[in-house]
Amino acid sequence: MSKIALTDHEFNHLARDIFAHQIRYSAPYAAFARSLGFDEHKLPQEWHGIPAVPTVAFKETVLATFGVDEARIVFETSGTTAAESGRHYFEESSLALYDASLLAGFDHFVLDREQELPLRYLLLVSERKSSSLGYMMRHVAQVRGDGKDQTFVDAQGENLNVDAFVIALSQAFEDHVAVCIAGTAFAFVALLEALGDTILPTRPGSRLMETGGFKGRRHNVERAELYAQLARCFDLAPERIVAEYGMTELTSQYYDAPWSRTQGERVKIGPPWLRPSIVDAGGNLVADGEIGVLRHVDLANRGSAVAIQTEDLALRIGEGAFVLLGRDPDARMRGCSLDVEDLLARRG
Amino acid sequence: MSKTYSLDAASIIGAVADAAERWSDADYPPRVRVTNAIAKRTGYAIPVVEYALDRLFVPVRTATLEHAIAQELGSIDALERFVEREGTQSRAYPVGNVVVVSSETTIGVAIVPAIFALCAKCTVLVKDREDALVAAFFETLAQEQPELGKRAQARTWKGGEPVEDRELRVADAVVAFGRDDSLAAIRRALRPSARFVGYGHRASIGYVDRAALANEASARAAAEGAARDLVLYDTEGCMSLQALFVEREAAIAPHDFARMLIDAATVASVEFPAGKLDPRVVTYCTGAAFRAALGRGSVLRTPSADTTLVLDPPQHEPPPLLPRILPVYSIDSPDECEEYVRSHGLPLEAFALAMPSETLADVGARLGAARIARLGEMQSPGPALHHGGRARIGDFIRWVDVA
Repeated sequence: MSKIALTDHEFNHLARDIFAHQIRYSAPYAAFARSLGFDEHKLPQEWHGIPAVPTVAFKETVLATFGVDEARIVFETSGTTAAESGRHYFEESSLALYDASLLAGFDHFVLDREQELPLRYLLLVSERKSSSLGYMMRHVAQVRGDGKDQTFVDAQGENLNVDAFVIALSQAFEDHVAVCIAGTAFAFVALLEALGDTILPTRPGSRLMETGGFKGRRHNVERAELYAQLARCFDLAPERIVAEYGMTELTSQYYDAPWSRTQGERVKIGPPWLRPSIVDAGGNLVADGEIGVLRHVDLANRGSAVAIQTEDLALRIGEGAFVLLGRDPDARMRGCSLDVEDLLARRG
Repeated sequence: MSKTYSLDAASIIGAVADAAERWSDADYPPRVRVTNAIAKRTGYAIPVVEYALDRLFVPVRTATLEHAIAQELGSIDALERFVEREGTQSRAYPVGNVVVVSSETTIGVAIVPAIFALCAKCTVLVKDREDALVAAFFETLAQEQPELGKRAQARTWKGGEPVEDRELRVADAVVAFGRDDSLAAIRRALRPSARFVGYGHRASIGYVDRAALANEASARAAAEGAARDLVLYDTEGCMSLQALFVEREAAIAPHDFARMLIDAATVASVEFPAGKLDPRVVTYCTGAAFRAALGRGSVLRTPSADTTLVLDPPQHEPPPLLPRILPVYSIDSPDECEEYVRSHGLPLEAFALAMPSETLADVGARLGAARIARLGEMQSPGPALHHGGRARIGDFIRWVDVA
């Protein structure tokens, strides 16, 4: 991946070109850009300045540079009702870009380059067709797996088939096949609860990918403790556990930087075509060591919006690197007012 | 520490009022030191901290405390001896050891319940914050009346430390401020017989009716009041203005009122400059700006861009509850406000009105508000009022009747 590193100049150039393309073909993005003083003839000087589309926009309008009837696949964000779900449309070429971006990132950050034999993929992710995470892992399993991958969570993402998972993992061990266990933090917590003190060893070369976090929901298991339990349960070294951070609204993904996997705080980095900005309340870039909200410029997000404004908090570590804090409900600085996390907790 | 006070209630009240009076002076050295520490801890601007300390200490006067106690107990004499109450001889004895757990995110909230617990002759331990405001105030109190120095202590510890468990286990009454889950954890640590007074996080809203929008002068007055309630404490207090409902079909339309309000917020921000704001405001503002670009609602910002009004955001969404962001909803009747509060399960502390109105006060009460205030005065409740709808001294006494 280092061979395709982009200079600032190259990244700026590509980001501005993609933004210009998008506001030419996406009326909502163009309207938003115009409201901020930009159009095809007046583009931001650099990628940091590209208007970042809020994730709520994916719920309220169609953000696509093509007709939705051309869409090959539509990823939906999780939501209680269809009206609450955001939709990210992909047509033929943008889906191909998705696949290419996904595999390049996954190969680099999760798989060993020297890995000779394909892994067996055991997936604790939803089978829902519109789940970007489900698609992502099924695609990786299909292209990089040994052909015996299985999914253990139903389409609703609620039921985890622990017995089937244990059988599949034991079978892989007997077959002398290393596995990649991929799932959400919630699924892993549920799995560990079900397994109790059971140890399920894996063959050398096995790894585990955690994703999805806790989405701001309160949780009792700290991430470090979760990883320690997972490492113990599957007899894995901590650096073999990798957290992925992605969003339905993005095409590319961040992963734990390899050098941070044995440290207390795992640092996220992305492929060269994905860059984060971390901004304060006024939208200004924060300095290293400060907390802000994440914006992403994903050059692979060609068919929708190249810049995305998230609700996720992050600690800036350096250029392109951050510690993900998510929608940490304990991040409140002051005040006795209710916050949205409180309100949602009250409403159950 | 002896079990009973040698001081009578009047002496305690006098000492508390004298200490508070010293703390009302912005140049009082302990206050100067603590002011800076609070600003550092919270990130609020110094004028905001000064205002908070004024609001905390200035109203604590002998007459105010006596009046508040007499309202609940009949007279302060009930703290000294058996008195006639509705045909019965009754006396208010102290409940015992009181622990007050202040929240990490507020300024001096523990002081008022601590004062009333002392007036009830309880021994008081306050979990203080790192700025040590309560400890410094108790030091002044000890100078006024040394016995109170022994009765009132403030220490700092972290949640979950053994000291917290130990103190909570021996407490006869605990007052705690914080999130629902923190309160639940504290409650679980208490003896079954201990009293628990929990102040969870709440929100406050305002209502501007047609009468207030009948002419420019009254509309401007309402806007100025609302602006103050919006910017003070960066909208992060439980009595800050977090959503505003404005009636349509008046001489001044909601959009024009919103313009007056953002102008007033610009002026109010000179007196109360913004502190360090939660970065998540940028996410909400980006969402609102995107909608506005598509013709859904509008966004108004102060020139410094630290305060934002969002006119007519979707009512199916809860209020953002973020600093210096105010959703303003154009409505036809109070029914819409009621529906909004109920549908989002918004626990209300204050319901503010532009003009006094019994009908609207009734709406606020029905919605569960503990306080009906005027816009501009939402965050100045005074120590005698019932924070959270609770008694002030009642939780710290036990009645003994001679029947």
